[in-house]
Amino acid sequence: MLVIENLIKKYGDFTAVDNISLEIREGDIYGFVGPNGAGKTTTMRIAATLMEATSGTVLVDGIDVREDYLKVRGKIGYMPDFFGVYDNLKVDEYMDFYGSCYGLSRAEREKRTDELLELVNLRDKKDSYVDTLSRGMKQRLCLARSLIHNPELLILDEPASGMDPRARIEMKGILKTLKGMKKTILISSHILHELSELCTHIGIIERGKLVYSGEIQDIMRRITGRTILKIEVLSEREKALALFREQPLVEDIYGEENSFELSFSGSDEDMAELLRHLVLQGIPVKTFVKEEGSLEEVFMEVTREYELENGN
Amino acid sequence: MNLKMGIKRNPVITSEMKIKMRGWRTALAVAAYLAVLLFIGFLYYLTFIESSYSYRNTVNAFQEMGIQLYSMLAVLQFSLLILITPAQTAGSISGEREKQTLDLLLSTKISSFGIIFGKLISSMSYVLLLIITSIPLFSLIFLFGGVTPGDMIKLFLFYIITVFSVGSIGIFFSTVFKRTVTSTVITYIVIFFLGLISVILGIYMIQAQVRGTGHLTNPRIPFILYINPAVGLADILTAEQGGVSQFLGYNIGTQTGLDFWIINSIVMMTIAAGLLYAGVKKINPIHRKKKRKKQA
Repeated sequence: MLVIENLIKKYGDFTAVDNISLEIREGDIYGFVGPNGAGKTTTMRIAATLMEATSGTVLVDGIDVREDYLKVRGKIGYMPDFFGVYDNLKVDEYMDFYGSCYGLSRAEREKRTDELLELVNLRDKKDSYVDTLSRGMKQRLCLARSLIHNPELLILDEPASGMDPRARIEMKGILKTLKGMKKTILISSHILHELSELCTHIGIIERGKLVYSGEIQDIMRRITGRTILKIEVLSEREKALALFREQPLVEDIYGEENSFELSFSGSDEDMAELLRHLVLQGIPVKTFVKEEGSLEEVFMEVTREYELENGN
Repeated sequence: MNLKMGIKRNPVITSEMKIKMRGWRTALAVAAYLAVLLFIGFLYYLTFIESSYSYRNTVNAFQEMGIQLYSMLAVLQFSLLILITPAQTAGSISGEREKQTLDLLLSTKISSFGIIFGKLISSMSYVLLLIITSIPLFSLIFLFGGVTPGDMIKLFLFYIITVFSVGSIGIFFSTVFKRTVTSTVITYIVIFFLGLISVILGIYMIQAQVRGTGHLTNPRIPFILYINPAVGLADILTAEQGGVSQFLGYNIGTQTGLDFWIINSIVMMTIAAGLLYAGVKKINPIHRKKKRKKQA
């Protein structure tokens, strides 16, 4: 759906994007991770036809963004990190305006507006003026706007930035719905935990260079190389500890009262077998949870590796 | 350029009109505009009546008053339009940038041409509303005689061309400068100096020719004057007395034999088209649109 090949963007002597190549397939949710000024927004703006690259190619559904940018714009929905709204325009008029900008008929615009306002929980705000909405509502409205023409690819630059925790949770819920609708999404965020829950793939960008790009599970495995199991028992602590020590797949044990954190190198089947052993031994298991590695940890590790390799 | 979104289905025009016409602001502005025209026109009428008391009831006196009132109102309306139009257009694109809505607009399927054209037409339509609502006021002059409907049509057509040209200067600077304040100030400065400098240079060029030989060696209007709509207006208002040739004090003609105001309009519209084209290029983020040729 989106192919970026050897993308370079320079501002004078400064290289904002340095030879980035990546591919996002249909249905992928690609998380773009990196510190401020790493080149995420520049890359997204080039893909959204809002900026020209110094060199390199960006293809959206096989179409070069420089070759037929109007056609590309019909295939993408773009939500910038900072945006404004028009005064004196109501929510449904706002949606209608952008629907017209994509050449939708009146009937299509009305239908899509109703559907999307429902999706972003703004149906009851249909007749409100957009400048009276809260920041979170405006962000959701902007997301709905980017979906008005039913695009195949969504480019979302920090869609939850500046939101309060409640608004973030609501936005995450909407994005999960979009994931369920099999939308292809390129999303950047500083909240790595949110991306790890949502994305199928991630790309880590540092000083304009893409230092990692691939499936999120691969990178978790590559960095941590193990699974963390969190187990809590009601009693029989010593018995449980003895059992864990007997297991060859358990590498490390951290225990505090009746809670344990095990570093486990087995498969999902091995985990089920361990749980079965605990139950058969008569140990009352309260919780048994497989903890995913944290994306923060992954990000720090990958960027540290990159800095070491490049002598910084 | 996507002409489909030119005027008929241009969402920028629809949306801007909706925003501008909502509420009482526009209605009040139109009322205030007409009140100014009416008040000054009435004062002029009273002054004329006072000063020409002895022959105020003759047909000639009424005709003379009609012509003078018409000229005064025409100049007044022209000045007001020159003042109002840049304020309407000089913030059209820079305002979108300031509100951070330009990227949202550019990421849609509406072309840069559609955006610029939509902005110009919606800004112009506001000024056109002022022009149209002043027609009944101007029509009162027919009661005095001396002015024909043809004169009035010519004048209003020239207003529209002037508004289009001045509006294009505003639009162009709003694409160049990020801030509306800068764009507006630069637009006013450029319009003022173009108006002033063109007249000074034009008169100087005629004088320079006369100074050498005592008469005009090449009796033609200097080209620099064709960029100035004020000279075009003078040509229209002094048509009965021979137009701009008389206004400049010499019996000189245009290069083509056409009336000065017609060539003036053509020149202004050409410049406006050039500025709009530059504006379209300026806001379009993708400059190199290449078409891949299919391999045979």
